[in-house]
Amino acid sequence: MENILELQDVTKTYPKSDFTLDRVSFSLPYGSILGFVGENGAGKTTTIGCILNTIEKDGGTVTLFGREMGDRDTDIREKIGVVYDGDNFPGFWTAGQLSKVMAGLYRNWDKALFQKYLEEFQLPPRRKIRHYSKGMTMKLAIAAALSHHPELLILDEATSGLDPVMRDDMLDVFLEFVQEENHSILLSSHITSDLEKVADYITFIHDGKLILTAAKDDLVYQYAVMRCRESQFQALDKADILAYRKRDTQIDVLVADGGMARRKYRDVVVDHASVDEIMVLLVKGERI
Amino acid sequence: MRGLLRNNFYATLAGAKAFAAVAVLLGIFVVAMDNAIPSLIIGYMLLVMIGFSLNSIASIRKESATKWGKYKLTAPVKRTDIVKSFFASQLLWLSVGIGFAALAVASSVALHGYPFDRDTDIFMLFVVGIGISLFMGAIFFPIYFLGGEERSEVILVVSLLGSIGIIMGLSTLVNKICPGNMTNRQIILSGIFVMACGAAAFAVSCPVAAGLFKKKEY
Repeated sequence: MENILELQDVTKTYPKSDFTLDRVSFSLPYGSILGFVGENGAGKTTTIGCILNTIEKDGGTVTLFGREMGDRDTDIREKIGVVYDGDNFPGFWTAGQLSKVMAGLYRNWDKALFQKYLEEFQLPPRRKIRHYSKGMTMKLAIAAALSHHPELLILDEATSGLDPVMRDDMLDVFLEFVQEENHSILLSSHITSDLEKVADYITFIHDGKLILTAAKDDLVYQYAVMRCRESQFQALDKADILAYRKRDTQIDVLVADGGMARRKYRDVVVDHASVDEIMVLLVKGERI
Repeated sequence: MRGLLRNNFYATLAGAKAFAAVAVLLGIFVVAMDNAIPSLIIGYMLLVMIGFSLNSIASIRKESATKWGKYKLTAPVKRTDIVKSFFASQLLWLSVGIGFAALAVASSVALHGYPFDRDTDIFMLFVVGIGISLFMGAIFFPIYFLGGEERSEVILVVSLLGSIGIIMGLSTLVNKICPGNMTNRQIILSGIFVMACGAAAFAVSCPVAAGLFKKKEY
């Protein structure tokens, strides 16, 4: 068993909104972080809902720890920590009350560890959660997700409310978490710079379809953007083009192998591509 | 289940504290008053039994303001247990209401004597209070999981009025079956019948609500 999480042809249709999650397949190996990227409404949260059974999928399979998780499989959910964007917990609770509720839900709830996180994240345990800032509520949710010793963290925009310094601290926490070889993280985020820092793999989703899954190092070090004029673009080997986008007189072309492109097209400027730029080209660009 | 019950307890606590404070003050007033006309003690008994139950049911809507309802589904609990915990919480708070009612009526009787016409009247007041509370929960939870969180207030009102209507309907049925002056035995049996109907509705409602909740998506 190499993957902690596997999705195979997962589909979900919302007839009222015409949105379809279309045969989504990807896997998350043990000991790694998978960045899940896509614009608003692309299907990230729906996919996570299908993984966690908060949404009933129409088809396909989701395998967690080698098994499909049904409602009765509480032993699997013991091993999953979840953080949603926004208010995860009722505002009328204090962190202390949250700890008491969680202790009643999770067999492995570690009160001392939670207390340690509260101190580390400077979260007052007796203050009502509704009086926390957004960043504090996200830190609290991350602390709660980590305090029952999960093996898989599923984070849906978990860093979105944090300032850059705190985000960096959280990313360190995530990196520390995956030091254990049986720990993994599925990290859905708009903030692609976070993913560039911590992810081992990145999956792009657009309009309910997966458009690319690749190792982060390949994306950062091998993928590239060629800045072409029209005539240069026409001369390109179509097989090399992943996506392209016309911008005034220039055409940006995404290629999977920058080194090859530099050797093959010596008169074209080839730049490194950021994850942001790759996402924009994949989402807004055209395919051949 | 322990965590779910604790969660429901915290959700209900603030409202319950406020209601308990009012109930204590009102209880002191009711007990202090002469009970020659028993309408005050009747009203008080029904108020506390139904009120604590109502507060417990109403607290469910607090969860919809956050993602906690969705988050709970990712915790190691079954959906059926989440629904069961709501029913169990209502029973717990109903028992608190019964405690308040029992204390008040016992104090009133001790201070001023027995205010009712028949020995069975106090029993029947408990039957009505408990019956309305049980039917209210039995109606509310399935409709809530079917109709959605945004309509919880309307569903709560419908449940309360519906439960009062059912109790009135059952009383009418009993009076039709046993016309004229009923014996104490008949009254007690009819009370047991009404309570059994409420308990049965409550028991049936739980799996129905659980079935509906299983299909709920977040």
